[in-house]
Amino acid sequence: MILLLAFGVLPILIALPVSATDMNLAGLADWSRIDFVGLENYRELFADRAFWQALTNTGIFALLGVPTVIVVSFVVALLLHRSENRFFRTLRAFYFAPAVTAIVAVSLVWGYLLNTQFGLVNHLLSTVGLPPAQWLSDPVLVKLSVALVAVWRGTGLNIIIFLAALKGIPREYLEAAELDGASGLRKIVSIVIPLLRFAFFFVAVTTVIAWLQFFDEPFVLTKGGPLGESTSVSLFLYQEGFSASRFGYASAGTLVLFLIIAGVTLLQLRARRSDADR
Amino acid sequence: MRRPRLALAAPIVAACSLVLAACSGSVSAAGDTGALTVWIMGDSAVPFQRLVRPFADQTGIRVDPVAIPWDSIDQKFTTAVASGEGPDVLQIGLSKLRTFADSGALLKLDDQTLRDHPGLAAAEFLDGMAGPGGDQVSVPWVGDTRVLFYRTDILAAQGISRPPVTWDEVRADARILAGRGEGSYGYYVPQWDSALPVIMTWTQGGGIVGDSGEVDFDTPEFHRAVDIYVGLYADGSVPTNADFDQIQGFVSGATPMLVSGPYLAGAVASAAPQLNGKWSVAPIPGDAAHTSLLAGSNLGVWGSSDNRDGALRLLDFLAQPQTQLHWFELDGQLPVTKAALTDPKLTADPLVSVYVKQLGDAVPLPLVPNWDGETGKALLDTLNSIVLTGADRDTALRGLYAATDGTAVN
Repeated sequence: MILLLAFGVLPILIALPVSATDMNLAGLADWSRIDFVGLENYRELFADRAFWQALTNTGIFALLGVPTVIVVSFVVALLLHRSENRFFRTLRAFYFAPAVTAIVAVSLVWGYLLNTQFGLVNHLLSTVGLPPAQWLSDPVLVKLSVALVAVWRGTGLNIIIFLAALKGIPREYLEAAELDGASGLRKIVSIVIPLLRFAFFFVAVTTVIAWLQFFDEPFVLTKGGPLGESTSVSLFLYQEGFSASRFGYASAGTLVLFLIIAGVTLLQLRARRSDADR
Repeated sequence: MRRPRLALAAPIVAACSLVLAACSGSVSAAGDTGALTVWIMGDSAVPFQRLVRPFADQTGIRVDPVAIPWDSIDQKFTTAVASGEGPDVLQIGLSKLRTFADSGALLKLDDQTLRDHPGLAAAEFLDGMAGPGGDQVSVPWVGDTRVLFYRTDILAAQGISRPPVTWDEVRADARILAGRGEGSYGYYVPQWDSALPVIMTWTQGGGIVGDSGEVDFDTPEFHRAVDIYVGLYADGSVPTNADFDQIQGFVSGATPMLVSGPYLAGAVASAAPQLNGKWSVAPIPGDAAHTSLLAGSNLGVWGSSDNRDGALRLLDFLAQPQTQLHWFELDGQLPVTKAALTDPKLTADPLVSVYVKQLGDAVPLPLVPNWDGETGKALLDTLNSIVLTGADRDTALRGLYAATDGTAVN
């Protein structure tokens, strides 16, 4: 409880007053140089094109990433669930590997794979006669590239969650359905998915939050470039707060992001509750 | 449920306190033994240890260099300011000087403080390396400038016998070089280099700070600089991908010309020793002037350091001409004391003589409150939006004027 207060609630409570000041590096060293500016930070934030760009990018990332992660994780989990033999167990570890690999190593490897000059992906394209693509420099492609790496990294954990839930489904249901002559797809749609409702809910909530806080991949792969095309809200806040030392401004943005995440999560909880009431 | 949570809490608390202890340990250890903790940028901490060995022998003061990556200096500094626990001495890149000075965390190095150290007087160093206004908080340490790097073999193969002297010649030569075929370019513009457009303005005879002491981009000289910058892209002479590797590009010959600093010479020499003699450097091209960037790093003393005297003695040692020359031998970084810069040991190398000559005609970026994070970023974003995404030039420039309006020097 104390830990929760100290590391969860306190930072948010502190961000609130800080967001109403012009605190910067100088203010940090000498508190008398901090001025109260009221809602000025928020006014500036909502007029800041870079902030809107970051918000839009985050929205695009979430729309691209969340469904992909959920669908891919579920399908892979279903396939892995088919057998318990050694090969499938090895495969399971293989799928989990991206989730436990250090992000810096991941970014280095993907940075080389996607490099325009000497990347493997462009080399493969050239062998089939296609022109090189600017994976990390084109305003549209960069979003896809960054999201792709994040999907690749994000599925491992969710596959394990789905697998665990799949193992919890009583065999009797599936056997009964089989006796009634249900097809494989029919069993998945009518038995597996409804019984996995809670797993889906959990994965959806955590994945949405993770994608709204999207940071690692654009930070290490592109630093948010080119021209902010892959900057997420978290990265924007990091740049304002730690590169430009505008702590007040960044705090205001943090609170806005916090409210967005809290709002979306509450909506999901609400949807779940009405679902459970039925 | 309560019990496991408590059980979990214990190791977490232990881990946290371990981390805290580890952090504070390194700082307080410095105070206990009288040793000096020195933040050295990049990967120069190991040679630095060798550089200061004579100092440690003479004075008995141990020096502990800590390597700080360029990417993380802002966070490191912020954390140090917030906690009040900094190093004793730290290296400060010239573009960060104003930000760091404004923080108030550094010791004021006024005449009174420097009384016993005549070697640290401003007159001993290159002009322009000193800090903003009268609030001097640092002394110069290493110099850096930008010159034109070019591949003599590739230029000669295209019938270009001497490096370009004006920007028009750069564009003309770059067009010829880019015509070598698919994947070949003539010139490389780093998309993160905010100094390049400023250098281009200087070499047109202008500047980006008006008479009022405020940043002013709406000048004929800056407009001509934009012509050059945009023109290089319009000619198709410059690669447009952000992940282009400048060393790789120079070594492979994809981009046989670029403006960069002496560190590129070191990187090329170690990455491709077989290219020795196939490339060279020339003064910065220019139409009205050949003024380049004066960059480099200063050294500052942490305000609450408990070994101020030792720190000043270290600064004094590092400013001595023979130490400065030794540092060039060890790490390839240029000296900044006038005495060291005229030493024949240094100027005998033809590459170095170009750097030293260029240092004589070099000025620093304007000391605005935050060049890297604000003014320089706005400048780069504007120019790159024109050349990379086809934004309208006049609209983009008006945006730049508005974004930098009222940004004052000092």
